Amino acid sequence: MAQMARLVRASLRCYPARWRQRHGDEAAELAALLISDGKPAGSIAWSYLAGAAREWLTPRPGRRVSVVAGALRKWLTPPPGRRVSVVAGALLAAACLLGVSAGLLASAGPARAASTGKPSGHSQCRPGSPEPDPGMLSAPGLLPAPGRAHANIQEAGHGQSC
Amino acid sequence: MAVSRQDVLRRVGEASVLILISLAGGPKHGYALIQDIKELADVELGPGTLYGALDRLERLGLIEPLPAEDRRHPYRITAPGAAALRVHLDAVERVSAAGRLRLQLGGI
Repeated sequence: MAQMARLVRASLRCYPARWRQRHGDEAAELAALLISDGKPAGSIAWSYLAGAAREWLTPRPGRRVSVVAGALRKWLTPPPGRRVSVVAGALLAAACLLGVSAGLLASAGPARAASTGKPSGHSQCRPGSPEPDPGMLSAPGLLPAPGRAHANIQEAGHGQSC
Repeated sequence: MAVSRQDVLRRVGEASVLILISLAGGPKHGYALIQDIKELADVELGPGTLYGALDRLERLGLIEPLPAEDRRHPYRITAPGAAALRVHLDAVERVSAAGRLRLQLGGI
């Protein structure tokens, strides 16, 4: 049990200091509750590791990518006399890869399925893009919205790789 | 206050939408959110995913933390968060209706 708690604490230490100050205690307590519910400590630690990787890789105002890369390099460099850092480094690298893939998957999830933007290349990916047009939902021969331009949802589906 | 009709939740991911839906029922802290989302959507959010989504929603001003209870921070949905959720659910509903209609007309 103590080993499980140590594993989770180690994964929480991978988060940036700002995050740990804000959520650290709460995250540790949540992990304890989930473990007492029977959730494997390994999967909780893994989730936090992936979350930490995403947190570092997410651009924040005032934090440059080089700072993130420097922090990752620091983690991946084994300090003398500590073999565990090799394993931790490999885990972290895997978590980074997983975090990126998970982030990409998450951004392409059902929230995007609701995309009804206009078929104008990538314009619907920008924050200031216009309101989705319900008329876009109509296929040729299928109920065009009254008073709206007739369009094809297949066209709207293209070019959404934002 | 003018309410934006733009679907800002289109790009935030499923976890964030589920969190907003859960918070629409009242303020909750992390553990309660995980339990509620598991019940309502049969989706088990990992704690790392949960905090990532909470951070993002808070930065977007769609949720806000309430004063801490012990070590737990409850969160509640804000007015812009509720408006954004409404717009998103409307959009999902329109796509869903169009999909059902096509299935029906296609005889599939």
